[in-house]
Amino acid sequence: MHPLAWFAWLGTASLVTLLTRNPLYIVLLFVIFILVMDVERASQRASTDGSGYDGAPSDRGLLLSPLRFALFAIPAGAVFNLLTSHMGETVFFRLPPAIPLIGGTLTAEALVYGAISGLVLVTLFTAFAVLNLALPVRDLIAYIPRAFYPVAIVSAIAVTFVPNTVRQFRQVREAQAIRGYKMHGWRDWLPLFLPVLVGGLERALQLAEAMTARGFGGGARTHLAPVARISLVAGLAGVLGAGVAQLTPTWASAAPAFLTVGALLMGVAIWHAGRGVKHTRYRRPVWHSVDTSVVVACGIAVVPFLIWVESRSYSPYPALAWPLFDLRLGGGLLGLMAPAFVRRFSEQSDDHI
Amino acid sequence: MITFDHVSFSYPEVTLPALHDVNLTLLESAFTLISGPSGAGKTTLLRCLNGLVPHFSGGVLAGQIRVGDLDPVALGPEVMCRHVGFVFQDPETQFVMDYVEDELAFALENAAMPRAEMRSRVSEVIDLLDLEALRYRSLATLSGGEKQRIAIAAALAFRPQILVLDEPTSQLDPRSAREVLEALERLNRELGLTVILAEHRLERVLPFADRLVYLPAAEAPVVHGVPDEVLGQIDLVPPVTALGKVLGWSPLPVTVAEGRRFCEAMPGETISGPDIVRQAPQVGLPALPTGAIPSQPKWQSPAGAPTQDRECSDDSGPTLVAEGLSVAYNGKPVLMDVSLALYPGQVTALLGRNGAGKSTLLKALVGLVPHQDGSVWLSGRETSGMAVADVCREVAYLPQDPNALLFAETVLDELHITLRNHGVMVAEVEPVPEALLESLGLVHKVTAYPRDLSVGERQRAALAAVLVTQPSTVLLDEPTRGLDYDAKDRLLALIHRWRVEQRAVLLVTHDVELVAEAADWVVILDGGGIAAEGSPVDLLGTPVFGDSQAANPFMPQMASLFPGTGWLTVADVLAGLRSSPVLSPPSPNPGGGES
Repeated sequence: MHPLAWFAWLGTASLVTLLTRNPLYIVLLFVIFILVMDVERASQRASTDGSGYDGAPSDRGLLLSPLRFALFAIPAGAVFNLLTSHMGETVFFRLPPAIPLIGGTLTAEALVYGAISGLVLVTLFTAFAVLNLALPVRDLIAYIPRAFYPVAIVSAIAVTFVPNTVRQFRQVREAQAIRGYKMHGWRDWLPLFLPVLVGGLERALQLAEAMTARGFGGGARTHLAPVARISLVAGLAGVLGAGVAQLTPTWASAAPAFLTVGALLMGVAIWHAGRGVKHTRYRRPVWHSVDTSVVVACGIAVVPFLIWVESRSYSPYPALAWPLFDLRLGGGLLGLMAPAFVRRFSEQSDDHI
Repeated sequence: MITFDHVSFSYPEVTLPALHDVNLTLLESAFTLISGPSGAGKTTLLRCLNGLVPHFSGGVLAGQIRVGDLDPVALGPEVMCRHVGFVFQDPETQFVMDYVEDELAFALENAAMPRAEMRSRVSEVIDLLDLEALRYRSLATLSGGEKQRIAIAAALAFRPQILVLDEPTSQLDPRSAREVLEALERLNRELGLTVILAEHRLERVLPFADRLVYLPAAEAPVVHGVPDEVLGQIDLVPPVTALGKVLGWSPLPVTVAEGRRFCEAMPGETISGPDIVRQAPQVGLPALPTGAIPSQPKWQSPAGAPTQDRECSDDSGPTLVAEGLSVAYNGKPVLMDVSLALYPGQVTALLGRNGAGKSTLLKALVGLVPHQDGSVWLSGRETSGMAVADVCREVAYLPQDPNALLFAETVLDELHITLRNHGVMVAEVEPVPEALLESLGLVHKVTAYPRDLSVGERQRAALAAVLVTQPSTVLLDEPTRGLDYDAKDRLLALIHRWRVEQRAVLLVTHDVELVAEAADWVVILDGGGIAAEGSPVDLLGTPVFGDSQAANPFMPQMASLFPGTGWLTVADVLAGLRSSPVLSPPSPNPGGGES
């Protein structure tokens, strides 16, 4: 699948997840993302045997299982909101108001809303995990504006560095276990944390040296051209002006205009700065009809959400209520399964070949 | 031509210079091997060639370096990368991308090369190093040797005239190392690429090198020239050269092939393989108490060697036993039905290719990796249900990377922490931590920060940290990785001491010379199962591997030189020759031609 089709999928997935607090839709989205991830993972396992050369599990995309994250994030979100948000009518009990932050009523509505927020977080995490699993590093950095190329490379290194760090953490944990080490309290993290930190810094230095030896950073621009600099300052002023205008009743109507002009000027600055970055791309991804179909499916998923606003919305405040489920919206969301169908379709085509 | 003219270099905040007044000329289109003890400045010397020193490292450089017409100090690595390709010790630390083809193109993309030119160059290096089968693979799925070949290909993408490699085979099994070195030799011979390579294991690289540079540890002058001349002037030499020195062979043999010509000139009965006794060397460590070494050496070779039985010096049973052990990751079998027994006073060596399952077996033995089938028994008790910490009180396990163990402020603290973890008082252990450090040659490093130590010292500090509870069994995973000959000798002496102390030792290594010196029993692991096991003489001493008639990749140099005699080390050969009815030094000119 073309990287841009994947980005369209991620954008749609994130948008629909953020547009609703209806737990039925969010659970449906979560299940869809898990299915897409599963198909993607199965496909990668089929091609690489799912493991490193030594038979140990390959870490990419599997750093933290979404289900495991859900076990932490949903209860944590629920408890945090229960303690800090004192809205709602179904009161469990009251803490003395003198207690900072958590003092006040603890309500069922706050608990439910917190759990739903945790579910949203988990669903977003899963969508990004799918992208991380599906796209090679080159595609993750290829579409970042040229002006940010060094930043993109650093991001790419972070993507490949994290699995190494996790692997190193595992090695250190094993190494400490063989010295009879057992976790008792927070101070016991030191034997794990210190070797990982020092080892990480050593590896970072080695990688930096290797990249320097391969010419990375040679001839990089260290300053912006005057045009880019002026555009950037003017753009920032425009965005800031929009904010100020919003606060001033007489200028409030002009705020969108300020914002648009500011954003455009910043875009010009980034484009101009990117011209100075010398960099070419080894691959040019080809757009296929399946990519178009994925984008169309994404449209089918998001458009009903934008049209039938009332159907998607749900809030436990001020009273708990069973969420509604609109089949039109739910059916549209199934469009986000398109990458899984595309993957299956392409594998079957390969089998026939 | 590359020249170093009175080059000295000191790293920032370090008083002792890493390079001191180096004068050196490296020839164009030659395959040059840089050797020398740890800390002699090999890595620094290599980094001078592409300007990493001083541009990346900082520090003070004096003298003049020329790489052809170029001055790497003036130009820096950004320019020199087009003329000097650089490959580091650990390929994994230099990869940026996650797929082979993307990694090969990475430097070219940074140089803003047109796409057509990039495609041409990537295809070129893939052809050069025969990587077509790996082209679209994920780097995570490659073996160590394959990764190193990818790193070499990536360094060649700019078509440099010089390729510099810093210990590129130190983490590879013999077969993978040979693949990498053969690829380098082909590049050198066919393209005229200048290859400059630093390596501790001379016996691996010397067959491919036509120049040798020896950097001494002290401020002595650098020795360089053709290998046999340089080897004649230094002490750290591979076994075949060491034998040649003792027997007065001239010119000194550098490779087994060269040594074999001298052997062919020896009378047949001289190398018929008489009974010999293999002695344990005691190098660089305090002497053992009188009488500690048994009057009768534990095993003899070949006539007295325990060929298939494993008779021990006493009647005690095995300390650690694995029975039908099977381990799988994600349903993929990594170990299959592996059975192994470690006896007190015996050194067992575990050999096999990268990825054969050796490290997994060690982890399974101490419980770090759960096994799906089979059982592990420690001193007669099954370990299932035992905590790793409890197993490791009796089993010292040194993982491949000793850095993972070290985190305390001082070396002595490392030992105290292990004792505290196990709930043992310092007064309860014998020897006390200070005495243990002394026995490991670390008495002067007791208060040192562990990560400031040399590779060999760090390894011994980590060993002390796992040995302080006086375990009955010692498991070592690749203990000679990155060690120079001196540090290796110290390790060898330690292993022999453990044997005398009646500890069971399991040694996982790619270093067949170490196995030849140290092991009583050899197990070869292949594809997760035991492919063969037997005495070192049986498994290392024959040119063919088992019944398969395949070439034996685990032969030490002496076994290759004297196949079928059971001689594995220089000491074996000398003992055998001395007891021979006919011992006449061979002709200094084995070819019999010109003198």
